[in-house]
Amino acid sequence: MDSITRGGAAEALRLSDVVKVYGAAGEGEGAGAGRPVTALDGVSLALAAGTFTSVMGPSGSGKSTLLQCAAGLDRPTSGRVLVGGTELPGGGESELTRFRRSRIGFVFQHYNLVPYLTVRQNVLLPQTLAGRRRRRAGAEAVAVLERLGIAELADRRPAELSGGQQQRVAIARALATRPAVLFADEPTGALDTSSGRQVLKLLRESADAFGQTVVMVTHDPVAAAYADTVLFLADGRLVDELSSPEATEVARRMAALDSRVTAAGAAPAGPGTPVTAAARAFRTEVA
Amino acid sequence: MATGLARASVAHRRGSFVAAFLAVFLGAVILMSFASLLDTAGGDGVGKTDRNTLTIMASVVGGWGVLVVASAVATTLAVAARQRAGELALLRSLGATPGQSVRLVVGETALVALAGVVLALPFGYGGGWTLLRLLQNSGQVRDGVDFAFGASALAVGAGGTLLAALAASFGTARRAARRRAVEAHRQASAGGRHTSRFRLIAGLVLVVAGASCAVVTATSLDGSKIDSQSVAGEGAILTGIGFALLAPVLVRAVTAAAAPLLGLLGSPGTLGVLAVRQRFQRAATAVMPIVLCTAISTGTLTMQAVWNSAHPQLSADDKGTAILNYVVVGMLAVFAAVMLVNLVVAETTARRAEFAQLRLAGATPRQVLRQVTAETALMLVTGLLFGTLAAVASAVPYSLAVTGDALPSSAVGIHAAVVAGVAVLALGAALAAARRTGRTPMTTALRPAVAA
Repeated sequence: MDSITRGGAAEALRLSDVVKVYGAAGEGEGAGAGRPVTALDGVSLALAAGTFTSVMGPSGSGKSTLLQCAAGLDRPTSGRVLVGGTELPGGGESELTRFRRSRIGFVFQHYNLVPYLTVRQNVLLPQTLAGRRRRRAGAEAVAVLERLGIAELADRRPAELSGGQQQRVAIARALATRPAVLFADEPTGALDTSSGRQVLKLLRESADAFGQTVVMVTHDPVAAAYADTVLFLADGRLVDELSSPEATEVARRMAALDSRVTAAGAAPAGPGTPVTAAARAFRTEVA
Repeated sequence: MATGLARASVAHRRGSFVAAFLAVFLGAVILMSFASLLDTAGGDGVGKTDRNTLTIMASVVGGWGVLVVASAVATTLAVAARQRAGELALLRSLGATPGQSVRLVVGETALVALAGVVLALPFGYGGGWTLLRLLQNSGQVRDGVDFAFGASALAVGAGGTLLAALAASFGTARRAARRRAVEAHRQASAGGRHTSRFRLIAGLVLVVAGASCAVVTATSLDGSKIDSQSVAGEGAILTGIGFALLAPVLVRAVTAAAAPLLGLLGSPGTLGVLAVRQRFQRAATAVMPIVLCTAISTGTLTMQAVWNSAHPQLSADDKGTAILNYVVVGMLAVFAAVMLVNLVVAETTARRAEFAQLRLAGATPRQVLRQVTAETALMLVTGLLFGTLAAVASAVPYSLAVTGDALPSSAVGIHAAVVAGVAVLALGAALAAARRTGRTPMTTALRPAVAA
């Protein structure tokens, strides 16, 4: 499967034939001096505004590269990326930064809150850097914190918060700029089960209640099942899609992918166990 | 990608090893040079006058040299140990006892420090020999006195530097290792706001001692003699070290005063003020060498200018004394300058992940550099202001004692040159280091680098 397109609602994100090769001529970073590694091999997709999409795949399948290219953290080797209908700008890093600042929100596994700023200052940071007027932005920040139920944390610093609280602040910061797309990279990876579930609910609500487009990379079938759609990635290509997913079905398809990849000898061994364990965990959770 | 991270971590560690090595090496060279004068003084057939001159030179100049070197070496190694707080926390959570993790850090420091001291031996020998020749050329010591390099040079130069290095890394590592893992991470990110009472009292005592040197110089010393210069010089050093110890408090005061001005620079200025406010200890690290560099070079050079203006016809001995002064101030100024670059680079490089977080939140590369500039400006203003105060505290009383005027006209030029030099060093080091951290892809820099 090469392309996933939905008609109707406005388009929040479009990738056309995106290729990313690390270690090619002119690519400084990445897989090092060896032969070039193709992390993304012609990925095309289009996501409607207000949808929540999970991206899954075995390790090394290109999930993180896909997120980084779609979010303007890295430039694809070829192909086009459009966020909210606008193409990623050429030119320098400053231009790319301004583009991200106005159109894209990030939530990472390791919160990435600035340690010396309070929660309020952290949430306001993108607007502060954009030079937006303070008073209005300040009111908006408080509104977002209230919506997420963490307004009482506004004057604390990240070190005083639990992991779950920090991740909610990170989500508040990502939502405060009203981005076209909110990208989340393993947002529950560092959290315990119950904080993780709260974060996932929050992302679900952002899509349902505020019409926020969310794209989440995860390896956890339970987390992926919170989305409207799960996209499966293997060897840098989109290979499968699942709508209205359930964790057991997600786990089953992941297991199939894992064994396919293992049979081809491209990924580390031992795929069955973790997925089965995750599926079992889900069953316990449901029961 | 794992290899990239490992490479980055090794490169980072190499930087902090180089910093520790340089501090110990240069410190040992300076201390050995002065301490070897004590060995020379103890030689057979050295006359009483010569013995006194050599002992005074070694203990007065070498005495504050010990203070300067010990505080610089201690700060550098404390910074290196503090930057490993995360790694120590990891070791602790893997089952290392506090004792084991301290032994690891102190053991590494011992190796680096030993290498620094051993390599410093030939240079310390050369430095001591040069000092003796300068003393002989200026007629302060008879030509017949033979150079000796022995127990004192080794005990004070090598032993003192090693001891300062080990004590500093032991103290910092022990504090880091005793904390629970969670606390260690918090401390590492907060960078410390608390200044110890011992540090405050020691700082105040030294400032008062320096000020009393100034009073003695102005009131009771004979300006026509060379010893008034050494008392005045001591005043600059003591006041300078005192201000260096008080640096966290001074940075706080200057930040409070300068915050509205920096706010005019836009969001990077505001963010810089917020960053310094949360981490006065970290900001104070770079203030220390700025104060010392400014106090020592401005103070000594101005006093020499005072002497020169009072004695238009310099005798051969006067010329020798002048050269000796320039050599001594040169050694210590170079040392302070290297420490300045060392500490600024180490502190800036350690902020790689923080800069990446700012970039992720929407800061352009230019905005990050502007914030670094604003923070460095706060440290510079603090260091230059109080370094100048320390220099004035020695140079003005000396000038009053020698010429009756407050300061010679050449003092302004000397001060301007020192200020410009220090500012270029500090800003250059900070911006170059910050720019270099920007070369790491943002997503790599964001991964929690335990080894960094």
